[in-house]
Amino acid sequence: MQELVLIQPGRAAEKEFAGEAAQVALRREFEERLAECGPLAYRVARGVLRNDADAEDVAQEALLRAYRRFERLRDRGRFRAWLVRIAFRLAIDRVRSRKRREVRETLWSQSPPRPSTEDLAAASEFQEHVDRAVDELPEKQRLVLLLAAIKGHSLEEVAETLGLPVGTVKSRLFFARKQLAEKLRCHAKTIVKR
Amino acid sequence: MPCEDYREALIEAAARDSAPSRELRLHLDACASCRAVSSEELQLFAAIDSAVRTTANGEAPASLLARVRVQLNERPVPRRAWVPAGVVTAAAVVLVAVIVLVRGFERDGGRTNPPANSSAQSIPPTEIQPAPPVVASIETTSLPGKRKLPRPAESPRVVGAAQVRASSVLVPAGQQRAIEVLLAGLKQGKVAGEVLLAGQPEKTLEELQVSPIGISPIEMKPLEDLSPRSAPQNEKTRR
Repeated sequence: MQELVLIQPGRAAEKEFAGEAAQVALRREFEERLAECGPLAYRVARGVLRNDADAEDVAQEALLRAYRRFERLRDRGRFRAWLVRIAFRLAIDRVRSRKRREVRETLWSQSPPRPSTEDLAAASEFQEHVDRAVDELPEKQRLVLLLAAIKGHSLEEVAETLGLPVGTVKSRLFFARKQLAEKLRCHAKTIVKR
Repeated sequence: MPCEDYREALIEAAARDSAPSRELRLHLDACASCRAVSSEELQLFAAIDSAVRTTANGEAPASLLARVRVQLNERPVPRRAWVPAGVVTAAAVVLVAVIVLVRGFERDGGRTNPPANSSAQSIPPTEIQPAPPVVASIETTSLPGKRKLPRPAESPRVVGAAQVRASSVLVPAGQQRAIEVLLAGLKQGKVAGEVLLAGQPEKTLEELQVSPIGISPIEMKPLEDLSPRSAPQNEKTRR
């Protein structure tokens, strides 16, 4: 017996064509933002992870996530802030999982991996102290500090990116820098030497 | 004001990256130890800013965007499900119920038609003739009863594209998708109609011929009519 199916051919195919056209338009719109915001996602991730390869992975994941949910973003003008938050959150998650993994490995081997000669040469002592102190900052302050440190980012732009009043950004930045200074003051002599 | 208070003020000014107040400036001019502290604090904050900038301003590798584009091509965006799952389930249930009812009507219609009754019952459902592909016209079997449904057109009608769009047709299951795409292509001008007649150029392109589906009305009978006693009476009444 030949199975027959009841169809309404015009409507189904029309919907499909319309869907494809919408997909193309969506992709084009996303591509426009990709070139502008991709490096920003990378910098935010790198600011948290301080590792180029990890930062690239996280930035890529953030951009793909943003694309998958791009259709649901009502205010496309908020894309930048949205992407920054996704990248920051993913980077924080990766740091946490990395720490857990390191703890597990340390427990098993009782010998933490030694940094390579290249790493030792690249990272100065003070930079390490600063990085550690930045890691200990509350997330809100850390994000503001990183965005404000990115080249060409004024406080107004940071505020716009995060959707916050400029006063809030200034306040968070002030507390972040003050906390960093308190933790790093004891290393002031190292700075003078440098 | 003691120097300790001024030191607190100058740290705050450095942390805010703002110029010291007039009072603080006057004190710094007068107090050498506070001036030294101020200088150290400014150095400290400058070093912190420099270190944070180093961390935050890594150049994005050129491969990043290329990798993302490759991934975008590999993984298209999943379509958003606008219809809730419950609605889809309910629609499926209704569809199944309609199919069952329609088949039930067809069987009942066969029983009420005595001449065709014996042959119709003997034909298993698998021997039902399949509808021809694309153009499927279903003949409606009018019942001998007085009630009649509005009859469809006697001969297959030639209908326009707009009518085809709104019509439903029965097509072989395997060709459903191909027919949908073909029709849409024809309608939007993406497919030239002459392609269909490539082997027979003398023929003109005909539009789809669709006849509406007719469903025979069901004849309802009370249950006692089917009992053995009443069977002869029924036959008599039929005759």
